[in-house]
Amino acid sequence: MTEIVLKTEGLSKSFGGLRAVDDVDFELPAGGLHAIIGPNGAGKTTFFNLVTGLLAPDSGRVSFFGRDITGMKPHRINRLGLARTLQIKSVFDGLSVYDNVWVAAHSHLGFLHPLRPVTSYRATASKVEALLDRLGLQGCRDELAGNLSYGDVALLEIAIALATEPKLLLLDEPVAGMSPTETRNTVQLVKELSKSVNIILIEHDMEVVFDAADVITVMNQGAILCRGTPAQIAKDKRVQEAYLGVSEEARC
Amino acid sequence: MSFAARIWPTSMGIVGLVALVLLLVAPPVLIALGARFWISIIAEVMIWSLLAASVNLLFGYTGLLSFGQALYFGMAAYGVAFGLDKLGLSFWPSFALGIGVGTLTAAVTGVFAVRLTWHYFAIITVVFSLIFYFLSVGWKDLTNGDDGMPFNIPPVFDFAGLQLKLYDLTFQYYFMFAIVALCYLFLWALLRSPLGLAFRSVRDNDQRAGLIGLNTYGIRYVSFVIAGFLASVGGVLFALFARFATASYLYWTVSGEGVIWAIVGGIGTLFGPVLGTAVLIVLREELSLYWEHYLLVVGAIVILMVRYAPDGLIGLLHWLLAGRRKWESAPGSAVAKEGQP
Repeated sequence: MTEIVLKTEGLSKSFGGLRAVDDVDFELPAGGLHAIIGPNGAGKTTFFNLVTGLLAPDSGRVSFFGRDITGMKPHRINRLGLARTLQIKSVFDGLSVYDNVWVAAHSHLGFLHPLRPVTSYRATASKVEALLDRLGLQGCRDELAGNLSYGDVALLEIAIALATEPKLLLLDEPVAGMSPTETRNTVQLVKELSKSVNIILIEHDMEVVFDAADVITVMNQGAILCRGTPAQIAKDKRVQEAYLGVSEEARC
Repeated sequence: MSFAARIWPTSMGIVGLVALVLLLVAPPVLIALGARFWISIIAEVMIWSLLAASVNLLFGYTGLLSFGQALYFGMAAYGVAFGLDKLGLSFWPSFALGIGVGTLTAAVTGVFAVRLTWHYFAIITVVFSLIFYFLSVGWKDLTNGDDGMPFNIPPVFDFAGLQLKLYDLTFQYYFMFAIVALCYLFLWALLRSPLGLAFRSVRDNDQRAGLIGLNTYGIRYVSFVIAGFLASVGGVLFALFARFATASYLYWTVSGEGVIWAIVGGIGTLFGPVLGTAVLIVLREELSLYWEHYLLVVGAIVILMVRYAPDGLIGLLHWLLAGRRKWESAPGSAVAKEGQP
């Protein structure tokens, strides 16, 4: 039996009268690239927020490798090996690209030395170099993150998330706003990453999802609609209805 | 390479070195020029710059705007006064007591203050300041209330018949210079350390900081206590300089001056606040002789700086040294950032 990376039971969160995430039972076995899709407002990002501790659930439980992480602070969850990117790209604007990755690579170690220079940490430095190489960010390593193009910010955010050495990586629309070339490269990268890290991907670009994902979960109105391989999902009537609305013929 | 980093080793380095040499030779030169008064002014600038540095560490590097740093400054001043006057301690134990009292006050109030951010944080720092202000004004038996606590200072060093006393103008200057320089050395090392980088990460984006495993509350707290420590050193030095401790040191308007010095000088830079403190204190000393409403000028300067030079005097200096090449305000520049929560 494969290991269960992430599991939620009866996970719910309401905003006022809106049940943004409604009694979600979700299980992620180890290995492979998992995608969550669904129309706008389906509750995908709220689901990520509940899992990573940015929001506390109204009810239900989240466990990570069998450990209950419900209601834990984000930094503690991250130290257990769960990293994510945000839908609205989130980096440290006033720091250089290098420092952005450096602080992430170092922070989960726990102790922050108050006097030793950042430049004296050899192991961290080589880790940062490797990540900058991998994400293709060497060219802008000394730029302030706030000056980067949108596509580079998205890549930097992935580098930051990877620097914390996650066992599970949640990517929230990583290719939104990227050029076609950037998108192609990023999808290739995410596919490669998924060989070594468990990944859950939220994505609106259906081409990307059906190309990259091994398993797809469809959410609609806060609940899980169905789950299956890309081929199964593509044929599923309920999914088509959720996305496209009821077909013309049916409506007439 | 960032703009600042590119020109630092050249022109800025030279300016810094010249400033250091000038500070070191100031006392004999000023005595020779018959301007002894200025020795005290420079010492006062150095001391007060620690209050601005304290604001700067919190606001410029950690993203917390405090209007209460004078509280720790004032408590430390009381601490050293108690040690010398009421407890009859010798110099260094009193010195340590002052820093201890101020830093401890920061450690206790910080537990509550850094739970908040933005304007809520600013407000709670003022509230703490006011609470302690009214306590020290009211508790006359202990503090002499508004009259304050004057005291005599024992020798700083006393060995083999050689006594070094703060009553000596030149020794006092070098003493203040040495302690203040140590503080900046510490701050310099801190800001290039992993902890310093973590401060700036929390300043830029606390949500992202949490998501990479940084305990944002803990980091803000540590920054708050260190800032309290810097203000405390300033408070101890100023009490020794004025030979006097009073409740008005910890009033929140004093904190406000620290904020203004830091912003005018250039927050988020190590020496900007020193520059701001120097310019505004000298302005006060000179202008207040001729015009009692000189604060109007200070106000105008602050508004102009915030509007047209958000990187402060140090930003202007960079711009001038770089041959007035187009000075682009960095997107991470603290003033620009702090405006938008």
